[in-house]
Amino acid sequence: MRLLLDTGESFRIAVGAVMANKARGALTMLGIIIGIVAVTMTLAASNGMQQSFRQAAGSIGADVIYVSRMPWITINDFFTFRNRPNISLQEADKLVEAFAGVAVVNPTMSGRQPLKYRSQVLQDVTIVGTSEKMPIISGQVPEDGRFLLAFDVRFRKNVAIIGKDVADNLFPSADPINKTISIGRYRYRVIGVMEKQGGNTFGGPNLDMQVFIPITSFVKSFGGRRNTNVDVAVKAGSIAAMENLEYEIIGEMRRIRQLRPAEDDNFSINKLDSLMGAFNSVFGAVLGIGLLVTSIALIVGGIGVMNIMFVSVTERTREIGIRKAIGARRRSILMQFLFESTLICVLGGLLGIGLSMLLTLAVNAAGAFTASLSLGIMLSAVFVSALVGIIAGLVPAYKGANFAPIDALRYE
Amino acid sequence: MDSHVDASTGNEVLLQLRDIVRTYEMGSELVHALCGISLDICRNEYVAVMGPSGSGKSTLMNIIGCLDIPTSGDYSLAGEKVADKNESELADIRNRLIGFVFQTFNLLPRANILHNVELPLIYGGIARAERRHRAEQALERVGLKDRLTHRPNELSGGQCQRVAIARALVRNPSIILADEPTGNLDSKTGDDIMGMLDDLHAGGQTVILVTHEDDVAAHAQRVLCLRDGQVESDVMNVDESVLRNARAG
Repeated sequence: MRLLLDTGESFRIAVGAVMANKARGALTMLGIIIGIVAVTMTLAASNGMQQSFRQAAGSIGADVIYVSRMPWITINDFFTFRNRPNISLQEADKLVEAFAGVAVVNPTMSGRQPLKYRSQVLQDVTIVGTSEKMPIISGQVPEDGRFLLAFDVRFRKNVAIIGKDVADNLFPSADPINKTISIGRYRYRVIGVMEKQGGNTFGGPNLDMQVFIPITSFVKSFGGRRNTNVDVAVKAGSIAAMENLEYEIIGEMRRIRQLRPAEDDNFSINKLDSLMGAFNSVFGAVLGIGLLVTSIALIVGGIGVMNIMFVSVTERTREIGIRKAIGARRRSILMQFLFESTLICVLGGLLGIGLSMLLTLAVNAAGAFTASLSLGIMLSAVFVSALVGIIAGLVPAYKGANFAPIDALRYE
Repeated sequence: MDSHVDASTGNEVLLQLRDIVRTYEMGSELVHALCGISLDICRNEYVAVMGPSGSGKSTLMNIIGCLDIPTSGDYSLAGEKVADKNESELADIRNRLIGFVFQTFNLLPRANILHNVELPLIYGGIARAERRHRAEQALERVGLKDRLTHRPNELSGGQCQRVAIARALVRNPSIILADEPTGNLDSKTGDDIMGMLDDLHAGGQTVILVTHEDDVAAHAQRVLCLRDGQVESDVMNVDESVLRNARAG
């Protein structure tokens, strides 16, 4: 009961103290506001990047194993992979055969070519040669028209499905379906437009700036003898089935390439998992450094609060004396000042969160990158600012609580 | 020791001081503020402590008020030995047993007078409704019931001192300790305040006041003179009733 009353009184004093020195309180709060904005914006930016990475990575498929010449992530042993042979279409076909009825296997090739429709030209568009199975692997489907059929692939049809951004740029007003476009020097008929994929942040590929054509037509049009590197995607069907499937794929590829037991694999197995792992470790390091730097702002803000609390304690020496004379315990005085510093910091934290919300909106509207302020970030910002308040208030409050009543009463 | 009885008067002894010594260190020098004071004060006594500055009367008041603890000697207040107490127990004793009235009033400037008077009850852990009721009652006793929401700077000195008296009274303390209560007031307002202390005493309250003015000390039944940290004289004030009658008439 007494603790409760003490708390009520301490809170009342704290509010009174902050209100009595509005300008001083506001300036002190500004330090905390800046610190909290810095920290929450770092978190919001990283949160936004992570979200768009996941979104972009979604088309890779969590249960899909990719067989490629190179690993997706090479740190410093690029040169050991450089001499590996390309994966040829013949090898890819053998894999398709080997896993027929067991798993969906989809070979793809890609290259960059200019696109042209009448006077509209798009340079350097990613052309993906693939099979009718691609939608099963990536979940990408056309919003208009149709995707490839087995027929198109077998008979090397010059048909194309274009990404949403390609459609918007090449056909600003017309319906693209059944129009004939030039891919490089070859003429293709548009049979579909893909759904918008989004998620093209931080230099990742723009999934909406792609054109899909049959892989056989790709080889026919653009496949030089050297330049035919195929990526093969194998869908496991479930995460649990991936491990066994991976070993089977490795075994099958070694058999296709007739590798002797002592030889290393001269191809790589890639998964979303390993990409995410690499992403997360790099990302974690960047986030860590970002937080370290921004938390300096918060620490400086906290020092400002501590400084003001020392001033507040000294100014109110006599008040402390009066309170002690009429029965305030050391704990009551301690709480009074801890409440004051915490109140300043939490108010600053809340204002900082408000400001971060506005900044998040502004950043997203500007479109440079996406920031996302989650409830978790906001709650931890409140928690952190309260913690800063308590830490900053501790030493000054302790000093005030330990004043001897007679000395404090005599203080002028 | 729970209750003591004074051998000569048969009254209950409220304060008992035995060989109280208080020394301060001022740099390398030892200052002897009190050099062995022994003293009993009974319930419902009205005592004035007098003496020139430096005589130790403030130190004695601080010790009696549990704001300071003696270097050596025993002090018990309402049966509780003060020397054994830690700081929060001392805060508790000040809260329950002592009502302070200071020369400079010592009200909280930012709080209204109701809150000022409620303060000892807050630190005493009294619930809100009762707190308010008792604070209003105490302010009614000093004639300020219609000023509850005023702040100290909106009141005259005499009114401030009355708020301080209400604050001192509100927990029904064993003693009212008044340190130069009229020192900052003009003589007429000072008389009002002394009249109020007289009334409290007449109502059964124990009052101890520190003063250097003879006419203030004249209100007390007993006058204690200190000099150089020792009791110089301790006399019953025979004129008290005469003075009071004179004023009444």
